[in-house]
Amino acid sequence: MDGELLSDTFVELTDTMVAGFDVIDFLHVLTDRSVQLLDVEAAGLLLADPRGELRVVAASSEAARLIELFQLQNDQGPCLDCYRSGLPVHVKDLAAEAGRWPRFAPAARQAGFTAVQALPMRLRDQVIGALNLFRAGQGTFATADVRVGQALADVATIGLLHERTMRRSEILNEQLQTALNSRVVIEQAKGKLAERLGVDMDQAFSLLRDTARAGNRRLSELAQAFVDGTETLAGPAFGQPRPGSWRKP
Amino acid sequence: MIAAVAPLDGDVRMTVSRPGRIWDLVARQAASHGGPVSATDACVAAVAAVQVTGAWLSAASGTELPGHLMSVTDAVGERLAELQLRLGEGPSPDAAANGGPVLAADLGETESDRRWPVFAPAARRAGAAAVFTFPLRIGAIRAGVMGLYRDRAGQLDDMQLGDALLFADAAALLLVSAGQLGEPAAGAGPGGQSADLAGHRAEIDQATGMLTEQLGVGVTEAFIRLRAYAYAHDRPLGDLARDIVARRLRLGPDPDSSEDDQA
Repeated sequence: MDGELLSDTFVELTDTMVAGFDVIDFLHVLTDRSVQLLDVEAAGLLLADPRGELRVVAASSEAARLIELFQLQNDQGPCLDCYRSGLPVHVKDLAAEAGRWPRFAPAARQAGFTAVQALPMRLRDQVIGALNLFRAGQGTFATADVRVGQALADVATIGLLHERTMRRSEILNEQLQTALNSRVVIEQAKGKLAERLGVDMDQAFSLLRDTARAGNRRLSELAQAFVDGTETLAGPAFGQPRPGSWRKP
Repeated sequence: MIAAVAPLDGDVRMTVSRPGRIWDLVARQAASHGGPVSATDACVAAVAAVQVTGAWLSAASGTELPGHLMSVTDAVGERLAELQLRLGEGPSPDAAANGGPVLAADLGETESDRRWPVFAPAARRAGAAAVFTFPLRIGAIRAGVMGLYRDRAGQLDDMQLGDALLFADAAALLLVSAGQLGEPAAGAGPGGQSADLAGHRAEIDQATGMLTEQLGVGVTEAFIRLRAYAYAHDRPLGDLARDIVARRLRLGPDPDSSEDDQA
């Protein structure tokens, strides 16, 4: 593991945790850094919703096949097992897990992954979600990687709260729901932009995120404004509407 | 003490039926007065299920919040709603602005007076000790705000919070669907609609966004049209959304003649 990248990453993440920071972008940065640091091909953060679901809030790629693997884990898979047990789940060989996860394991293999890991996001004695890591190569996760992965999961938890003192214990639930709704806004924005430009969802997300950063705006706010129609996303990266599609006056 | 997040049930069927159970309660409430299901039914049903004292619901006027007061279950709820509308201060305005719930478990604590210096003491005088407000949203769609109050301080427990969120989901969907002819009560059928959602949330939300471009409409209208198409063609919403996202299906601007563009 690149030691300098490791320390730079933690400095970067903790530096951004000031009042008013963009938690959604932060969680995406964390999944990106997880891929860079941990020798994995994909990463995602899932949060437990009091409604009784595990929901993905950020991923290193917004490609549909990957998002699908997170959505599947609402029913079965390493993140669900991790959430229920509070313990990390490591699977070296997905081919051997078809009995354990009859829908998830084949789908993950079909997406090109060989191994998977889920690390619990912990808050005191509660598990609030999981950091999900996927490998496409040889399946063993190095011990040092597991420790750093757990530290990243813990930083994700702190970032979600983004308040240093727990003045009110309801803060987690409030922040969680705000983040989950922001995720929906971002999905709607991805769809609108993907359709407008004729690009895929991952490209649409990257454009939204790059625009937010360039304008020093929160991704969730930009996505909301774009869906509302108050933000047009002008610039050379954004082409004209496709022929045949109507613009709302 | 941190409110523990509700553990997911071991039985998959239990996980899927929580929204179904909530819809059942809403439908029963509607059946008790014999009219069509509306957001008011979600508001009323929430009071008993979540074990609060009363509730109110305000619906957005167009896309503007706070909008207008649509339902109240008692005089105290009405007072709380009107106070916040008049003052522009309180958990409801905060929830509408934040896009997330505001859970004020104790209006008597210093923090409440700090956040809402006029509303908090007035609310206490009116008889409320705790207030929990939920923006009624489907992503960028803003339908209103639902507020619950209790005459005693204390947090909602995990189950109550989860149920309150599900009632808020139901209220949002009912507000958005209100007046749409040809569509049955949203979520009709035990688990029929809701069982679909968890595995296809991303596709449904993305398809909604895509339809704003394909149809040239706002996001609320796009969502209504997506559901209307699913109903008219008797297709599960998630399946339809997947087809749209995969670009196997495109909806044309004319609601009476959708283009089935089979690629």
